[in-house]
Amino acid sequence: MESTFYQVLELVLNFGLPFLLLLVAYIVGTMLEKGHFRSIRKRESEYATFPVVTFDTMPDDWSASSSTLVSGSVVISLDYFKRVIAGLRAIVGGRIKTYEPLLERARREAMLRMIEDARRDGYDAIFNVRLETSRLANSRRDGKGTAGVEMLAFGTAVKFASRFARAQ
Amino acid sequence: MKFIPRQPREGINVSDTHPLVEAGTLVAGLTLIFVFIALLLIFLVEIALYFIPVEKEVALFEDWLPEDLITVSPADERLHQAQLLVDRLAFHWADAPYTFRVEIDDSDVANAMALPGGLIIVTEGLLDQVESENELAFVLGHELGHFRNRDHLRALGRGIVLSLFLATTMGNDVSSISVTVTDLTLRGFSRQQESSADEFGLALVYTHYGHVDEAWRLFEKWDNDDRIMPGVVSYTSTHPDAGDRVEKLKDQALREGWPIEGLITGLKW
Repeated sequence: MESTFYQVLELVLNFGLPFLLLLVAYIVGTMLEKGHFRSIRKRESEYATFPVVTFDTMPDDWSASSSTLVSGSVVISLDYFKRVIAGLRAIVGGRIKTYEPLLERARREAMLRMIEDARRDGYDAIFNVRLETSRLANSRRDGKGTAGVEMLAFGTAVKFASRFARAQ
Repeated sequence: MKFIPRQPREGINVSDTHPLVEAGTLVAGLTLIFVFIALLLIFLVEIALYFIPVEKEVALFEDWLPEDLITVSPADERLHQAQLLVDRLAFHWADAPYTFRVEIDDSDVANAMALPGGLIIVTEGLLDQVESENELAFVLGHELGHFRNRDHLRALGRGIVLSLFLATTMGNDVSSISVTVTDLTLRGFSRQQESSADEFGLALVYTHYGHVDEAWRLFEKWDNDDRIMPGVVSYTSTHPDAGDRVEKLKDQALREGWPIEGLITGLKW
């Protein structure tokens, strides 16, 4: 009954392997995501008092002694589970809920990296903060599928002329 | 201006639906929609069948052969005998609208198929297992039953619409899964049709030979093979469980009072 063996093998290959991959992607992806959010929250509370604003000119009561461009960027990729669920969602439309935490992570991580960039050189605040995102590359030759997304945060970091200026 | 430190608020940008709930909802909902559309397509095929008369089908598929068919030499004695047998059986089917053609496919898998235009394909694998003309007569009669019920067009129509449907909706990502799903669905649908074709085939065999001896011997043999690995095999095989089939055929013979023993005609090759 050689053909029976191949029939069973075919079933396992067609249904078992993708399901296993889906399960592994879900478990590993969830673990990584939870860990990342923990790290993000920890650093955010650490930098909570660091002023980051979106005004395109420096607020009047800031008196800066020096300024520079700071940026933080992060490149993220989808996991197989998220992609499959998003693929199913794309049939009927609606919010792609599995992508939401992914982009949330990217935004917050990019902001944190920008803040870290500024703090490392001793800057006191960042204004004119902007976020940009770009699709990185196609993951497949037919032009479909996304290999990843880049999130870029940038702004103008300033050093205050005196500690007094910041306190106001 | 006072700067008020504040951490990003959670639960604004990210929906709090659990990913597995989202996955479950989507899979269940889409399955329902897919099943509904598939049933609708099958219904449309039924309607189309009603509007395609047999004459039109015959005219369309008169000289047609499947592309992947590997035929044996036209001088093959088995081909000649199988064609003769089909003609003799079809003689008992009053006003059969087809002129039946038999072709032998060079494949080791035992199978027989009814295809549009009155084409019957028997595999070499099947002929190797057949030990008497009576056995072969039942297999051929069964295929004639498919023609009477127009299952051959139904199967083709369903196959075409369902694979088109799956190809358009699924895209490339999951197409490797969908092919097998289609196969299983199509096979599942055909079980009742197989029983009906069995009944017709057995009636033809009885009319021709005056008894139904050895008609189901091939299935008894397959049933024994099935027992080596039950479950998966009968689910994936094209035909209903061989054991069930034998039981049904025996019931039919008993009900109709057809003798289950008689003179066996040997093969002429």
